This record gives sequence, C-alpha cells and structure tokens, in this order.
Amino acid sequence: MGLRNFFDRIEPNFEKGGKWEKYFPIYEMVESFLYTPKTVTTVAPHARSYIDMKRIMTYVVMATIPCILMALYNTGYQTNLAIAEFGASGWRAAIIETLGIGFNAANPLANMLHGLLYFLPIYIVTLVAGGIFEVVFATIRKHEVNEGFLVSSMLYALIVPATTPLWQVALGIIFGVVIGKEVFGGTGKNFLNPALTGRAFLYFAYPAQLSGDSVWVPVDGFTGATALAVSASEGYEALAARGMDWWSSFYGFVPGSMGETSTLACILGLIFLLATRIANYRMVVGCLAGMIGFSLLLNWIGSDTNPMFAMPWYWHLVLGGYAFGLVFMVTEPVSGAHTNMGRYIYGALIGFMVVMIRVINPAFPEGMMLAILFGNVFAPLIDYFVVQANIKRRARRNV
Amino acid sequence: MSEDQKPKGAIGRFLALPPDSVPKTIFIAVSVCLVASMIVSAAAVALRPTQAVNALKDKQINILQVAGIYDPNKDVLESFAAFEPQILELETGEFTDQFDIATFDDRDAADDPATSVALDDDPAGIGRQGKFVTVYLLRDDAGEIDKVILPLHGYGLWSTLYGFIALEENGNDIFGLQFYEHAETPGLGAEVDNPRWKALWNGKKLADETGELQISVTKAVPAAGADYHIDALAGATLTTVGVHNLVNFWMGETGYQPFLDNLKAGGI
Amino acid sequence: MAHKRREMLIDPLVDNNPITLQVLGICSALAVTSSLQVAFVMSIAVTFVTAFSSMFISMIRNQIPGSIRIIVQMVVIASLVILVDQMLKAFAFEISKTLSVFVGLIITNCIVMGRAEAFAMKNPPIDSFIDGVGNGLGYGLILMLVGVIRELFGSGSLFGVTILETVNNGGWYVPNGLLLLPPSAFFIIGLIIWAFRAWKPEQVEEREYKIQTVEAH
Repeated sequence: MGLRNFFDRIEPNFEKGGKWEKYFPIYEMVESFLYTPKTVTTVAPHARSYIDMKRIMTYVVMATIPCILMALYNTGYQTNLAIAEFGASGWRAAIIETLGIGFNAANPLANMLHGLLYFLPIYIVTLVAGGIFEVVFATIRKHEVNEGFLVSSMLYALIVPATTPLWQVALGIIFGVVIGKEVFGGTGKNFLNPALTGRAFLYFAYPAQLSGDSVWVPVDGFTGATALAVSASEGYEALAARGMDWWSSFYGFVPGSMGETSTLACILGLIFLLATRIANYRMVVGCLAGMIGFSLLLNWIGSDTNPMFAMPWYWHLVLGGYAFGLVFMVTEPVSGAHTNMGRYIYGALIGFMVVMIRVINPAFPEGMMLAILFGNVFAPLIDYFVVQANIKRRARRNV
Repeated sequence: MSEDQKPKGAIGRFLALPPDSVPKTIFIAVSVCLVASMIVSAAAVALRPTQAVNALKDKQINILQVAGIYDPNKDVLESFAAFEPQILELETGEFTDQFDIATFDDRDAADDPATSVALDDDPAGIGRQGKFVTVYLLRDDAGEIDKVILPLHGYGLWSTLYGFIALEENGNDIFGLQFYEHAETPGLGAEVDNPRWKALWNGKKLADETGELQISVTKAVPAAGADYHIDALAGATLTTVGVHNLVNFWMGETGYQPFLDNLKAGGI
Repeated sequence: MAHKRREMLIDPLVDNNPITLQVLGICSALAVTSSLQVAFVMSIAVTFVTAFSSMFISMIRNQIPGSIRIIVQMVVIASLVILVDQMLKAFAFEISKTLSVFVGLIITNCIVMGRAEAFAMKNPPIDSFIDGVGNGLGYGLILMLVGVIRELFGSGSLFGVTILETVNNGGWYVPNGLLLLPPSAFFIIGLIIWAFRAWKPEQVEEREYKIQTVEAH
C-alpha cells in the first residue's frame, strides 16, 4: 500500500497549521476519491453508509467517461468530415498539421485528438471561470468547495456545442454557478440544475448560435439543420436522406452538442449510476414512461401540418439531448423530487414536457433542457402534494 | 376645513356631514366621476386631431421608407404628396373608385364579410383576405409610374407581420420590403427590421422569364438562383418561413398577380 | 418641515425604494426596460401620475367616504393615466407605440395605489405631492438602471445611440439576446436588490424560519 503511506505522510502538511493548509480541500478531494473518507459515521445510533457526497459526485464524473470519450471522438469525427469538404483553418488545424496526424475521419486517433482540441479549451475555461466564482462564494459564505462543482462543470462542458466561443462558455458557467446555485446557498440548496441553468442562459442569450436549429460543426462554411430541426420541418423519415439512420444516432455519430450525441454512451453511464445506486431508477422509469406515453398518444392523434407528431418514441430517445438529460440531469438528486412517488411524477412530467416542446412548440426544436428546468421548478410542489397525500391517507386510517 | 369651525351655509353644512352618510357618498361619487370625465373627454377631444395626424404620419413614413425617399428633415405630409394612393380590386387587378380613399381602411375591409373572402388555402395565416387594398403609386417627373408600394401581411412565429413591398415599374424587380408592425422575438425574428437584412431585398426579382414566381426566403440558395433568393434570418426559422409564405402568397394568384400582369402589360 | 419634505423626496430613492424594498410595480419594470428611452418616458409618466393623483386624493381626503374610497382613488388615477396616454399619443407617438398598453396599466401599478392609500389619505396635499414625486423617482431610478443594463448589453446602445457596434451591423459586439426578453429584468432587479441589501443590511428581511444545519464533517 505505497500510495496509502504516501497520503499518510503528506497529510499533516494539509491539516490546520500545516504549510499547505489552504489546499486541504484539494488534498481531501483526491484522497477521498481513492479511499473511503475517514469521517464516515461508525457508531451505532447513526445510519452507516459508505456513500457520502464526495463519492456520489466522483461516481457521477466517472459515469460520464463514456460520454467524454464519445464527445472527443465524435467532435473530431464530425469536424474532420466537414474539413474534407471545406478545408481546415485556425490554430487547432495548425497544431494537428505540426503533429502530422492529419484530418482523416477514418482515423480514430486523429478524430480523438481533434476532438480533444475542442473539448479541452471549453472544459478548462469552464473549470477556471466557474471555479473562480465558486471559490469566491465559498470564501465569503464560508462553505467548502465541493465536488458538486466538478460534476456541474463536466456536465456543462458536455452539453455545450463545440462551436461555442470560449467567452460565452465562461459567461454561461458563471451564470449557472451564481444564479443556479450560489444565490440559493450552494450545493444541496439549489433548486435548479446549475449546468442546465448555464446552458439555458446561453440558449436565450445567444440564440442565433445556440438555439439548436442549425448544426454545430466548427468548420467555416458548414451549415445544415439538426436532426430535430429536419424532423420538425420535413418529418423524421427525411433524416435517412441526410445519412442519419437510427443506429448512427444511437451510437452517436451525428452532429450535436459535444457529449449528448451518443445514446449508447449515456446508457453505459446510466447502468453505472443505477448499479452504484446513485441514480434513482424511479426518475428514469418516470421520464421514459412520460416520453413514450405522450409520443405514442401524439402518433395516434396525428397531424397533417406538423410532421413531428409522427415521430416515434425510439427516435425521440436517440435524437438531441434526451438520453444525456435523462441519465445525468433528471437523476440529479438535489434539484429533483425527493419522495419516491414524487420521483415517478417528476420523471413523467419531464418526459411529457420534452415531447410537448419538441412537437408542439414551434419555436424550439429541442426541449430536453427546458423540460428538465421546468421539472426542477415543479419538484418541490410535487413533493408537497405527495407528502400531503400520505398525511391524509394515514389520517384516514386512524379515524 | 378644520373641525372646530362652524359649518356655514348649505354647502358648508353638506361638507360637514360625515363622509360615510348616504347622500354624501352619492354626491362624492357623482362629482368625482363628473369632474374626471370632463377632464378626460376634454383632453381626448382637444388632442384627437394631433393624434390622427401622428397615426397617419406613422404609416406614411413607412411607405416613404420602403420607397427609399424618406427624408427626416422634410415634412412627412409634404413628401408623401408624391404618392398617388389608389384602391385596388385584387381579383381584377384594376383600380376602383367605389370607396372614398380618405376613409377606406384596409383592415376594416378585410374583416367585413361584404368586402373580404375567407381563405381555404391560407399559407400566410391571415384567415380572411380583403378584396380591396390601398396601394401607392410613385410617379416620376414625366408622370410615368416609377414604383408601386403594395401592402402585405402574414403570420410569423408569434404575430402577424404587417408591411409594404416596393416594386419597380416593371412589376417584377423588388426595390424594398419593410414591416411596420410585428411582435417577433427580439434579436431573432425581430431582425426583419435590421437594415442590413432589409437591404438584401433590393434588386431581387419576383418571377423568372417564364413568369413563374421564384422568390424565396430560405437558408439555402434554390435552383432558380441568387436573383430570386433572400437569405434566411439567422436562428429565426419560423419567422423566415412566415415571411417567405406571405411574400409568395401576396405576389401569387390570389394576391397581386392580376395587378402586376396589368402593370407589365402597361394597362395601369 | 422642509427637512421632512426633503426626506420624503430622497427616502424612496434607496432607503425605501418602491421596487427594491417594497417590491411593487415589477410588472411594468419587466415590460418597458428593454430600451432606455421608453423606460425614461415610463418613469416620467409614473412620477407624474403618482404625484398628481396623491395630491388630488389628499385634497379631497376628508370628504372621501370610506366605503367607496378605493373606487374614488381609481377614478382619479385612471383619469390621470388616460390624460398621460392621450398626451403621449399626441406628442410622442413613436414612444407611445412601444409603451402601448403599459401606459394604461399604470392604473394598476401598485405604487400609485399604494401611495394614494398609504400616504395621501392621511397627509396634506403638498406632502402627498412630494411623496408621490419621490416614489415615482425611486421607481424611475430602478427602471433606468435596468434599462441601461438591458439596452447596453442587449442592443449595444444607450438611448438609441450605438455604443457597442453589434455583429449584425458589422461590429464586434455579440448582443445578449436574453436581455431583450422580459424575464431578464427579473434577474437584474434581483441582483440590484442583492446589491442594495449588501450595501444597506438593514433592508434585509428577517428570516421566516431558521435553516437547521448539521455541522459539516
């Protein structure tokens, strides 16, 4: 156990009075990521669990790994495909040329590297810009900087498009951290998902670039409608003509925000989260049921003028941000409902809303982000009614 | 009035009544309403002429702007005298004098079942279309028609857009397009007001040599070529679709086509 | 007396601001602040209506029957609002077009009714007038602050004069579209209230309940 010894040896430096006292949160973060935190409850009257917030948050970050890999690969893949047609420019292209890797979309390594050159700047800016505000609030409000921010920033980086200018990335995460979380008192008191709050800010602030009816492929001259926008104007059958079949959407080889394209990667993350019982299956079940139920209903009703009515549920599942939102946002424990019955209702409400926005609202092709934020806002109300119903039921029993 | 003063006379005694007594309540209610209504109606009557001129000027400024002859330093009414307003019967494409041009209102006419038709095929989303509209002719010094200004409207994303299109004397070349009333999303659909976008319309053509209507407002340049294409508004898909549909509707058979044919044939 | 009147005028600007402390008149603050010019005219209109309605109501306050008190106040306020609306249509047509229904809605602006009911019914006309001006200005101050932020960063201009050349017009500034939408005023007013209360902690309301926290491990 050389590593354990190493931690034990350096630990005094981080404790009160040690020379790196200020950096204790960082030490603690790394240490508790690798080992069980030392401060778990062990004595009888307390409920004991190996799970604490640190572990929950690090597990969520681990669950995003398939999505991150897919984000790197697909961002590079889409970019390289477009470059084949429009040519390369910019500093990223210069780096790749210097390294002599080239822009071959058939070369996985070239794709990964190119994707990394897009993902990394966005992620670093997110960490730095959001981190500064997180630390400022932590210092003034005297709470610790916790891994919640790591989760928020990772999810945020995965749901912004690769084309987003870095200053917009910074503005978005700052808004998300401050308005979505810190004004309400920090992690655990936020009723909105901070990553989504930041993304929603960008969505409404810079809609021409970020509303999602044209695709985000970071190559000059490349334009096209997203899968959802095509479905909205011409029907989902038209997707095949544009080289997008269900399986490629499922695997994630389609343009979109970086981390959200691959339903498969999201499902891998979901399995991990469900197995570790971080994600509550009730929300997932509710959200799937709401989406499938309502889209079946719309299929049955049908519409002559709106081709989106005909879109089957399995297409809703693989297009846009549905899968990513389902796995990483709907299941987020703080901003969701807290009662078991409430979790079903909460999930179903989001599933219903996402189809509602995608199909019936003419202005927004994508609805997952708005649906989840809507669900967040309603979660306390849902809990309230569930609790009231329980109280009534129990009261009746004793009459 | 202070309480220790003795009420004098009938008015004084009345004012000294407790405010909540029935006669006083009625008296106060009536007199407040009377005074208020007099002030309000006096203001309304006194200011109406100025307001009417404002509303008229506002519309005229739009017509002047779309025709490209608006000069903020010149008097609007004076500049507007260059135009010759006419009431057009859409179906025949001929001018008519069965209405008084000074009092004719396009929107009222479009609501009145006697002067409008309900549309079955309604791409512009306007419900009823008036049979008669007011158009404006701009003549050059020789008395020849220089431009025609035609009103059009249709549904965008959130609202009906009202505007004018200015065509050259050949009835096919677009001089400009301008909306004066809409409630589209600020920053997206509301960019129909952006001067740079409006400038795109100048010099485009409605129909090709065969007379087929080709004008389009879309993202991609269509097969007919850039002469007939206006670039879509970035991020405002449905406003763009709305503008495309309404221009095509009004320039089509149920719109101004009979009139434009007459114009091309030199029958106006 | 003069000192007291000065307070009546100054107090509603920061210490007892109708928007940030009393949280009244928010509706119109959302609707008319996307352009500074409109916000400015709206501020003047509200100041005018609040001042004169308070004054007139105060003049007849001893005669107003309690049972129809609110209706009488409404009649006075509504008449003044119609007067303002007519004036705007006659002399500032462009602005009246953008303000449209919001001038009419001054009638329901809680600030006007609030001052009439809370102050003018108990105080002499001149004091009521000054109080009305003060509250109108307090409302206007916040409106202008919000308007500056929204117009500058939402359209890159102030009072219609371009400050930051936007990308759509060939410049460099990418305007923030969120600021052109009414909900952004909620955020801005919220942040202004935050700033005011950080500056003057006595404005912070007492907690309705205390949040129980377990000492973090």
